[in-house]
Amino acid sequence: MRSRAVIAGYGFLTPIGSTPEAVWESLRTGATGIRRIQAFDASPLPCHIGGEIPDFVAKNLIEKSYRKSLNAMARPVQIGVVASQFAMQNMGLAKGAIPPERFGIEFASVMGATELNDLARMSKVCTTGAEHPVDMEKYGRDAVPEMPPMWMLKYLPNMPACHVTILYDIQGPSNTLIPNDAAGVEAIGEALRILRRGAADFMLVGGSEAKINPLSLSRFNSFFPLTHKNDAPATAVRPFDRDASGTCLGEGAAAFGLETLDHARKRGAKLVGEVVGYASGMDRGHTGAGLARIIRNALADAGITPADVDHVNAHGMGVPRFDAFEAKGIAEVFGTSAPVFAPLSRFGNMGGASGIVELLCSVLALQHGELPGTLNHDHAYAGCPIAVHTGAPRPITKPYAVKTSYTDLGQCAVAVIKKWDE
Amino acid sequence: MRRRVVITGMGVITPLGHTPADLYASQIEGRTAVGPFTRFDARTMPTTFASEVRDFELGTYLKHDLERYSHCGVNTQFAIGATKEALADAGLLDERIGDRTRMGVYLGSGEGAEDFPALMNSVGVATDPATMTADPKKFCAAIIDVLDRLREPEVEMHTTIGHLGTLFNLDGPNIACQTACAASSQAIGEAMELIRDGDADVMAAGGAHSMLHPLGIAGFNRLTALSQRNDSPRTASRPFDLTRDGFVIGEGAGIVIIEELEHAKKRGAHIYGELTGYGSTADAYRMTDPHPQGKGAIRAMADALKDARLRTEDIGYINAHGTSTHANDSAETAAIKAVFGAQAYNIPVSSSKSMLGHLIAAAGVAELVICVLAMRKGVLPPTINYQTPDPECDLDYIPNVAREKRVDHVLSNSFGFGGQNISLILSRYRD
Repeated sequence: MRSRAVIAGYGFLTPIGSTPEAVWESLRTGATGIRRIQAFDASPLPCHIGGEIPDFVAKNLIEKSYRKSLNAMARPVQIGVVASQFAMQNMGLAKGAIPPERFGIEFASVMGATELNDLARMSKVCTTGAEHPVDMEKYGRDAVPEMPPMWMLKYLPNMPACHVTILYDIQGPSNTLIPNDAAGVEAIGEALRILRRGAADFMLVGGSEAKINPLSLSRFNSFFPLTHKNDAPATAVRPFDRDASGTCLGEGAAAFGLETLDHARKRGAKLVGEVVGYASGMDRGHTGAGLARIIRNALADAGITPADVDHVNAHGMGVPRFDAFEAKGIAEVFGTSAPVFAPLSRFGNMGGASGIVELLCSVLALQHGELPGTLNHDHAYAGCPIAVHTGAPRPITKPYAVKTSYTDLGQCAVAVIKKWDE
Repeated sequence: MRRRVVITGMGVITPLGHTPADLYASQIEGRTAVGPFTRFDARTMPTTFASEVRDFELGTYLKHDLERYSHCGVNTQFAIGATKEALADAGLLDERIGDRTRMGVYLGSGEGAEDFPALMNSVGVATDPATMTADPKKFCAAIIDVLDRLREPEVEMHTTIGHLGTLFNLDGPNIACQTACAASSQAIGEAMELIRDGDADVMAAGGAHSMLHPLGIAGFNRLTALSQRNDSPRTASRPFDLTRDGFVIGEGAGIVIIEELEHAKKRGAHIYGELTGYGSTADAYRMTDPHPQGKGAIRAMADALKDARLRTEDIGYINAHGTSTHANDSAETAAIKAVFGAQAYNIPVSSSKSMLGHLIAAAGVAELVICVLAMRKGVLPPTINYQTPDPECDLDYIPNVAREKRVDHVLSNSFGFGGQNISLILSRYRD
């Protein structure tokens, strides 16, 4: 019989809280993390609101022995590592507590954007204004020596996982998945498969993303469907709503421990949930039919039917065409009364971290026995034939939740989780 | 019984050829692809040469959608070429063939290049010369006017696989990893596991990457990872040689079509070989340097052998990661000796990178394609530019000249920054 994969604990760094208690309290009370961007003056950009982690000071939070490495860690790397520390602390696991060779890691993270000051000196010696080409002779000779020596390593996608393997002596399988908003759930799925095939006993699964920086925010403003409702940040992102106007970016990180039930029992772990099913695939052209197929595959992997599911935890970007696609896929499997919860309107779109953070919201909900409402869903939209749960928390009535995720190109990944129960 | 996974198609776009046959022939003849940079003016850079893909035209592979995909980075364009060739080779290009929801994509995949002039000029405009710090508001105001909204999405790392799924009607799992230089081998290993687990029947697996842009080269130069043998680019990549001084950066894409055995047999597919073993470990040691004794590499190789249910004496050839950096080549040699013991001296080991350069996220798949043809033709590629033995590297590296040898099982190593270690085992297919 295949191994069961159980969740042993979690850590968060999000716009609405950086402890499980704070995140849960914000979810219950309907607090939002979306504000006018504080980190820098982003007012020249059409969208300058987003979800930021407040008061994150890396040197106060990073493991002391590791402070010296901070200058080689960009913000997405820092928050990924700190969220992993929080998860390990939440589970009461110190370095060496899990046998290194049976301990693996799966992370969802993408290439970080360069900090402007890393290129400031370089640019001054080889550019003369926007109208002129970069002087490549000066670039090679005078600018390159001004590049911080560790520049490249600060931003590589696999650096969160790399640092965490060093911090906690993780020597098993290690992978970093990059398909943006689908990457988090894909990382969960790959970790689940690794545990089932016996290649590890314990997997740390995490995601981190920090796009509230001048380069990423400018780039996403140039092509991504971001809202321009800067005057009302708290209500700007409207999942499945008639007045949806686009999404915004968020930064966040989270990590959790996923282990075989046998291993958890042997070490007497306190458990908070279970991952029971997963599937992924493409929905070319965002038809909804592909997403529906993938949801069905995930339910089949879990061995359950739509009737067993308390709620669908949707990505709910607040972009009309994407919301319509996701709702169509969900409705095809669960019907038009499908109970849907979408946490993104509290965080913004956290890209690689979104799958992990959003799924953990449902882990908390199943654990606490109530489902928080979706923020900013005030008016049903005919294109989204689903029953979005809004308002006050309602009791959880069934043991399973389904997490859907997708990208702007149609990559979809779906996970099924279960309330922890012997 | 677990599902068996075989290779039924291959495609490559590399500096040594745009077909597997050309790539392999170049390797056997000991030809190098390394030469001066042509992609941008790099004459004053610390390193002035690379291993570049030449004469590639996306139009060779795409007709109707050429305009749409011309905005993609070269990494994605190479991947489109390699995937089309691999699917055609496997007889799976026609979308009416097979259940496309059971066919997916898994790549080790890099980023599209940043818009270098827009980025540098905008930082320059925003930087106060007195403090040498950039004002974010001025930067945003400058760059938002010049970014190309068709090109910018293509910088995102999920676009390569997404386009492959869309263009070639592959609706199964569509995944990419980025574990530095181990990425495409890891992608092939995980894609194999997806097929074994029943998540898919066919996967287009491999990688695509190009870091041949000014910031990529500068980044590697500042880490002192690249060879700076500017007076002799063609001999710069010299894995396992005492005088090695860093790797030679390359670019490209490679795809292997891997398929569940019964699925392949049922449709009468040509079988190139069987993927039998996969090992994946972390060093948990340092950001760039491998563990000096190859701690993680040892277990990756041992896990792959165990996964393939093979003994060390079954391995007839090792295609090394062999980057031509001091640290990799000595650590890899130590790890091979730790796994294979005294036998290590009897197993030919070579580095494709001596001729091909280092294709970064696409390195592992290009090297696996070379292994497939080496196993089928019975001729092993050499390590070229090997002149001065290093006492720390004392294995049989097939110095400079290809060698005839029949091999039934091949081990291919790929290691990456961040302590990522991947080993794959390829076996001659037997019913």
